[in-house]
Amino acid sequence: MASVHFRDVRKSFGATEILHGVSLDIADGEFVVLVGPSGCGKSTLLRMLAGLEEVTRGEIAIDDRVVNEVDSKDRDIAMVFQSYALYPHMTVRENMGFSLRLRKAERAIVDERVGRAAQILNLQAYLERYPRELSGGQRQRVAMGRAIVRDPKVFLFDEPLSNLDAKLRVAMRAEIKALHQRLKTTTVYVTHDQVEAMTMADRIAVMNEGRIEQLGEPLALYDRPANLFVAEFIGSPAMNLLDARLRRSDGAAWVELAGARWALAAGAPGADGQQVKVGVRPEHLRLGAEGLAGEVVVVEPTGAGTELVVQCDGASLTVVVHGRSGARPGDRVLLAPGPDHVHLFDASSGARL
Amino acid sequence: MTSMQRWGLALLVPYVLLFLVFVLYPVLYGFWLARSPAAYAKLFEDPVFFRTVVNTLVFVVVAVNVKFVIALYLSGFFVNTRPWIRWLSVLFILPWAVPSIPTIFSVRFMLNPEWGMVNSIIFRLTGADGPNWLTDPTLALSMSMLVHVWKSLPFWTLILIAGRLAIPKEQYEAASVDGATGWQQFRYVTWPSMRTLYLTSTILSMIWTLGDFNSVYLLTGGGPADLTHVLATLGIRYIRLDQLEQAMATIVVSMPLVLPLVWFMVRRLSRDGTQ
Repeated sequence: MASVHFRDVRKSFGATEILHGVSLDIADGEFVVLVGPSGCGKSTLLRMLAGLEEVTRGEIAIDDRVVNEVDSKDRDIAMVFQSYALYPHMTVRENMGFSLRLRKAERAIVDERVGRAAQILNLQAYLERYPRELSGGQRQRVAMGRAIVRDPKVFLFDEPLSNLDAKLRVAMRAEIKALHQRLKTTTVYVTHDQVEAMTMADRIAVMNEGRIEQLGEPLALYDRPANLFVAEFIGSPAMNLLDARLRRSDGAAWVELAGARWALAAGAPGADGQQVKVGVRPEHLRLGAEGLAGEVVVVEPTGAGTELVVQCDGASLTVVVHGRSGARPGDRVLLAPGPDHVHLFDASSGARL
Repeated sequence: MTSMQRWGLALLVPYVLLFLVFVLYPVLYGFWLARSPAAYAKLFEDPVFFRTVVNTLVFVVVAVNVKFVIALYLSGFFVNTRPWIRWLSVLFILPWAVPSIPTIFSVRFMLNPEWGMVNSIIFRLTGADGPNWLTDPTLALSMSMLVHVWKSLPFWTLILIAGRLAIPKEQYEAASVDGATGWQQFRYVTWPSMRTLYLTSTILSMIWTLGDFNSVYLLTGGGPADLTHVLATLGIRYIRLDQLEQAMATIVVSMPLVLPLVWFMVRRLSRDGTQ
């Protein structure tokens, strides 16, 4: 087990810089998810930690040892690839024991460790099979087995669930999480799926265009997104964002939008007359007696709740209502959030006020 | 007969005709020409024949295997994606793409002991006379093998490059994270994926090399003193001596060499097909 440190890490391919100075400290035993849209540099960052890409500038350290110039094979890490990258000519047993065999471990030790990993991952029945004889989920488990047999300092996962169907993905998500709770190995996990990030991470680093936009615990990111990018990226359905003007008078504060006003909490930041972006999570919008006027256009019952799409003066808002809703398409409604659930962002910089 | 069957028959006839005219008839005619037992007796008594069989075996076993080891190594170099390597690979393919007769003749001129380029350079650098490349039987056969390797190496390198490109990059990355050195990556990732292709190509190349007339005949003409013939060139020698029956007999006696290779090859291919 180990801690991992990125210090002002940069990466260029030719003249194009794709990581612009990333710093991130990961504690021993922590599960950190790097999440962001494709092309944000999250996989490159992971591959640099794995030693599969060179570091252009900056430092990567595992524990106190700078590993910039250390070969992958000497970093004592294990990686699970999106394509699984199992060795097609080896059985499941041989695949899982390969790294130990390369380290000239004794046969008995290899057998014991492979056996234990197989038991954890429920693979005992498949040890003599070849990868081509396994289903996608089983291959995924073998790839994880190959990683845990090693008992490495750090686990790296590069979009490991992207090739699985939705149901299996949810199941494997829970398995990986359970595995981490059992082994407590420092883990860096890359995904573009914010639900995966939210459900699995101790801390999430949201990345965009070669930078970390925000680093924090999942619910902290959800409750207090640092900027518009994080606000839009984290949460499903996504946060509603509207242009508005901030007003304050006599200690009260509110935002004005499309002829309506939404009250803000007493300590709300910002100056009177400031142009802002207002963000409200779908579950924090209420249908009530006053607020922003709109027309219900879509009603999507999911059983546990109901998702409404409401058209308001050019903007389309999503509202999630707990339980059943009597609303029907065509209904005129008034929308307002609870004052504690309004997020304010600077209209030009996008930063949280 | 239903109309379906009539159609089937009609569609089959051209193939059967082609097979009869261009495969079965020539083969049977060849056997018929080579039917006289006396031709074989004379062939086996000819000291050139024994030497030729040995030459052929050496040629096929040594030249083809040397070629494949080099091709395997070079394919690892040419899968590199750097631009200058791309350009180099274009140059590298040239020997295979240019026609045999002028190139092999020019090698022959280069190896001329008195005025050839190779010995001129040796003389200029060392002041000594170079070897008699084409009049020493061992050297001459070695030179033929060299020409053969030079000429067909690019083709087989290309085939093995294709084989290497089919191996997903992640397997190498996984192996390197697992702790494999460069050699271990070759041993555990590259070779297992390439083994079938390598063996099948080697056998195919052996079959083709048994029929390689150019590398030997254009360079040495079978000489000196008929000591560098291979089975592919021996027939021509007999035809020049007006011994057609002998010539056909050399082809028939090369069957024990060719047929096992063909059989092995077909078996491999059909097994690969069912996997």
